[in-house]
Amino acid sequence: MNNAWVPVANRITDIIKETDVEYTFTLESSIRPDHGQFVEVSIPGIGEAPISVSGTGDGWIQLTIRAVGHLTCAISTCKVGEQLFIRGPYGVAFPSALYENATLVVAAGGCAVAPVRTLIRSRLADKKLAANTRLLFGFKNPESVLYKDEIDEWSKLVQTIVTIDKEACSWNGRTGLITSHVADVDIPDLSQTHVVIVGPPVMMKYTSAQFFSRGIKQEQIWLSFERRMACGLGKCGHCKIDNSYVCVDGPVFRYDKALHLID
Amino acid sequence: MIRDINRKKTVKNAWRITKNRALTCLRIRVPGGHLEARHLELMKKVAEIYGNGTVHLTTRQGFEIPGIPFEKMAEINNLITDYIAFTGQHLSTEVISSREGYPAAGTRNISACIGNRVCPFANFDTTKMALEIEKTVYPNDFHVKIAVTGCPNDCIKAHMQDIGVIGQALPEYETQSCIGCEACVKNCRKKVTGALSMVDFKVERDPRRCIGCGECVLVCPTQAWTRNPQKFFRLVVMGRTGKKNPRLAAPFAEWVTAKVVLGIMENLYPYIQQYIDKSLVKEHVGYIVDRTGYQVFRDWLLRGITLNPEARIAPTMQWSGYMYGYDTDAWDTKSTIPGSL
Amino acid sequence: MKKLLQKDEFDALLSTSSGVQFLGPVRLKGRGRFSDTDLIKYGQIKSFTDIVWDSKTYLSAKELILPITETLLDFTGTTVVQPPVEDAILVLFLRACDIHAIERLDAIFLNNGPSPDPYYKQKRDRFKLVLMECAVPFDSCFCVAMGTNTVSNFGAAVRCIEDGILIDIRDEWFTSQIAGSGTDTEFELQFPQQNGADVHVPHIKEMQEQLFTHEMWDEYSKRCIACGRCNTSCPTCSCFSVHDISYGHDSNSKIARRQRVWDGCHLDGFTDMAGGAAFRIECGSRMRFKTFHKIYDYRKRYGVNMCVGCGRCDDVCPEYISFANCINKVNDLVNESRSTPDE
Ligand SMILES: Cc1cc2nc3c(=O)[nH]c(=O)nc-3n(C[C@H](O)[C@H](O)[C@H](O)COP(=O)(O)OP(=O)(O)OC[C@H]3O[C@@H](n4cnc5c(N)ncnc54)[C@H](O)[C@@H]3O)c2cc1C
Ligand code: SF4
Ligand code: SF4
Ligand code: SF4
Ligand code: SF4
Ligand code: SF4
Ligand code: FES
Repeated sequence: MNNAWVPVANRITDIIKETDVEYTFTLESSIRPDHGQFVEVSIPGIGEAPISVSGTGDGWIQLTIRAVGHLTCAISTCKVGEQLFIRGPYGVAFPSALYENATLVVAAGGCAVAPVRTLIRSRLADKKLAANTRLLFGFKNPESVLYKDEIDEWSKLVQTIVTIDKEACSWNGRTGLITSHVADVDIPDLSQTHVVIVGPPVMMKYTSAQFFSRGIKQEQIWLSFERRMACGLGKCGHCKIDNSYVCVDGPVFRYDKALHLID
Repeated sequence: MIRDINRKKTVKNAWRITKNRALTCLRIRVPGGHLEARHLELMKKVAEIYGNGTVHLTTRQGFEIPGIPFEKMAEINNLITDYIAFTGQHLSTEVISSREGYPAAGTRNISACIGNRVCPFANFDTTKMALEIEKTVYPNDFHVKIAVTGCPNDCIKAHMQDIGVIGQALPEYETQSCIGCEACVKNCRKKVTGALSMVDFKVERDPRRCIGCGECVLVCPTQAWTRNPQKFFRLVVMGRTGKKNPRLAAPFAEWVTAKVVLGIMENLYPYIQQYIDKSLVKEHVGYIVDRTGYQVFRDWLLRGITLNPEARIAPTMQWSGYMYGYDTDAWDTKSTIPGSL
Repeated sequence: MKKLLQKDEFDALLSTSSGVQFLGPVRLKGRGRFSDTDLIKYGQIKSFTDIVWDSKTYLSAKELILPITETLLDFTGTTVVQPPVEDAILVLFLRACDIHAIERLDAIFLNNGPSPDPYYKQKRDRFKLVLMECAVPFDSCFCVAMGTNTVSNFGAAVRCIEDGILIDIRDEWFTSQIAGSGTDTEFELQFPQQNGADVHVPHIKEMQEQLFTHEMWDEYSKRCIACGRCNTSCPTCSCFSVHDISYGHDSNSKIARRQRVWDGCHLDGFTDMAGGAAFRIECGSRMRFKTFHKIYDYRKRYGVNMCVGCGRCDDVCPEYISFANCINKVNDLVNESRSTPDE
């Protein structure tokens, strides 16, 4: 029988140090995850964890990993040529087809830029879609800005607002919480707009509130949830909220559904 | 009234000398401290008909029925025969049929905590064990105090006895059944000796630190820990109160079986017989050990006993305790303690 | 087909059936939580007298199909090895509620998510279920309220009588196994119609979101000690965690085992995420989460209540928290809100 638990060993071909604690790994891989999906990554003997796919291509995927615990710290010490074990992809992706005929605003806080990067890349690769895309990123400080160079490239193509929480001498861009910049996002037609908001629970809550005050409806907002996971397969129960499994029915949820997910 | 009473014989018969020359007080044994309630009627009857209508509960879990005229002793001895026969079923038919009351009082009532008839922590039926011990050591005139307690919490204060019997559970661990919740590890660390630790999501037990309390079995949500059905005991010996040198009993044996416990109890008496100072009215066994030294005591107590493989016996012994008669001249007084009125 | 099997006829069947393991409630003498008590749990049945009829098991038959610790994979350095596949048929003796409980697990392990769980399925496919008739329900059962008192998907059903069993055979496998043994007889299987625990389950349509935050849960924050016994003893709790164990002294060594181990939503750490985020810190909210899984959201997803009313959680809680009463409390709140007119 096909055993979904069996991972595939994938070689690391490139490592980019994004910040002090975040690294982007490029791996050889034949899977083609959709935007917002995640994989289960492991090092045998250390552990397994869900990680969003932050880049895909022909024969490769990218993962941006923040070293915070047992496994993620171990991964951060891996070198090119070593292998990570991968299974997946899992979860419900952002409904990008639905966004095609609309303005898409992507608001991401901190390392949550990772799960939306492929979505942004694919939008910006298409001239027509790029024109209808707006980006809003919030980081803690200049040192924690992810994908710096790529964001610079994006900002040449579309409205890209980048803010850091507090003023810092090495920063001459916007400051303040992401919520305080929602008003500046250029939204031509409210009814023809979708908003993707990813980040910590409070960030998603208050950023959504700002978009509501601009007239965006619950049905137009898409969130990505992060919960403890031990399988990604809808079995272990860790990620269940109400009758939804974040690993199977999420991590992407439309706001009006997410609203009723009470932990 | 002429009152010519053989004091020694009377005391041996479990009657007390009291401060009132006309009155005595009956001591009733309750081995293991647990009794069928119907027997309370007898206590009530003796107290109300012969005594002053009150009953005292002793620290050793017996009854003392005070205010009884000496001349009623024979009548009451006859009356309590059925009770003695019931609680001392091992006593000889001679003792029982004589209807002359208790045959000895030196070796005291074997007291016990409530044990596993009620207490979830207890590792065995303490009353049943107390009865077994009673069978082994009573009747005997040597002054020996024994108590039995269900677990190392020692609710009966076995540490204040000549021999204290403490129940031990040998915890056994089923690795596959453990969910790694750490409840046992945290509990053992907080409440007991910290014998458990987590290694690779499973538990390891350090047998040198484990005191056999059985707490891990109690808290485990999957019963990965269970008790080895064999009952084990720790013996602590030569604890005492008294006017000379009060002290807590110290561990003598660990992980011994009931059979070994009873054998050791039995061996205690020939040892006392051999070494007791006959010039004294009574010599407390602890002081005999102080004189002979631990090694002699140990040799006598283990004589002829086959130890079970798990058993451990203390090689030497250090008792805590102190001697009365220390100098209190330098102690603080009312005037030297700040703030005292 | 209905038969009477004498004890020795039954034992003969156990010993002659090759490639079949018989599993059911057995007694482990002196292995209970308290001294001089027995542990009743699922285990191998070697003779008629091994089967325990008069007590409920502490852990359910779940541990046979979802082992407490189960190896998922072995990493040998170069390959990923799956544990060997076994083929013995597993004849399992269990009660009506516990048969329903296995179906509750099926929903998760066979039907939820992208694919069936291979480890679960591998065992599930080998199970043949034998219903043990409940002549008299146990003290804490509430199967009638949960609709699990009756059951029909079993291969055979047995009633214990003085010198053997009466067996009601419902499928071909059992027919062929038993052909030739015992004597034909007649009896009608009985299902309990009433329980000692009177439980009223509210309908999910009437369970409003206010119940999630109702103050009734606060009391449980003060009472529940997060010991997890209600989860481990529950035949339908299916949660687990996954751990890796390294067998190399060298930290880069890939010789390792990946295993899953039961977990539960009442236990500390169940929702912990790296970096310190966690949900349901208060035990009251864990009680709510469990309760709603058992009688609300599982039903929203799969159409039946998850709880099968076996009463084990009530039997094992060291704090004497009654889940049955908790359901009734929720039901009372639902009734109250129904009878209070809108202001
Ligand atoms: C859908 C999803 C996408 C994610 N994407 C990314 C990403 O792109 N980059 C990134 O750096 N991190 C991501 N995370 C978070 C990442 O999974 C955790 O940081 C990681 O599990 C920590 O594992 P650890 O062994 O280092 O930490 P430890 O604290 O040692 O964790 C031990 C175990 O707990 C579980 N666990 C701990 N934290 C989390 C968590 N946040 N989510 C789920 N399980 C957890 C895992 O099973 C982990 O193996 C994502 C989480 C989810 C749910
Ligand atoms: S028996 Fe007591 S001391 Fe021994 S491991 Fe268990 S809890 Fe600790
Ligand atoms: S209490 Fe039981 S399940 Fe929990 S860690 Fe200890 S042995 Fe394992
Ligand atoms: S919740 Fe309680 S009564 Fe219901 S199935 Fe689980 S253990 Fe049994
Ligand atoms: S009640 Fe808790 S432990 Fe049981 S299945 Fe539901 S989430 Fe898992
Ligand atoms: S068994 Fe009782 S105390 Fe333990 S987690 Fe469940 S409700 Fe809480
Ligand atoms: S991660 Fe296991 S059920 Fe979702």
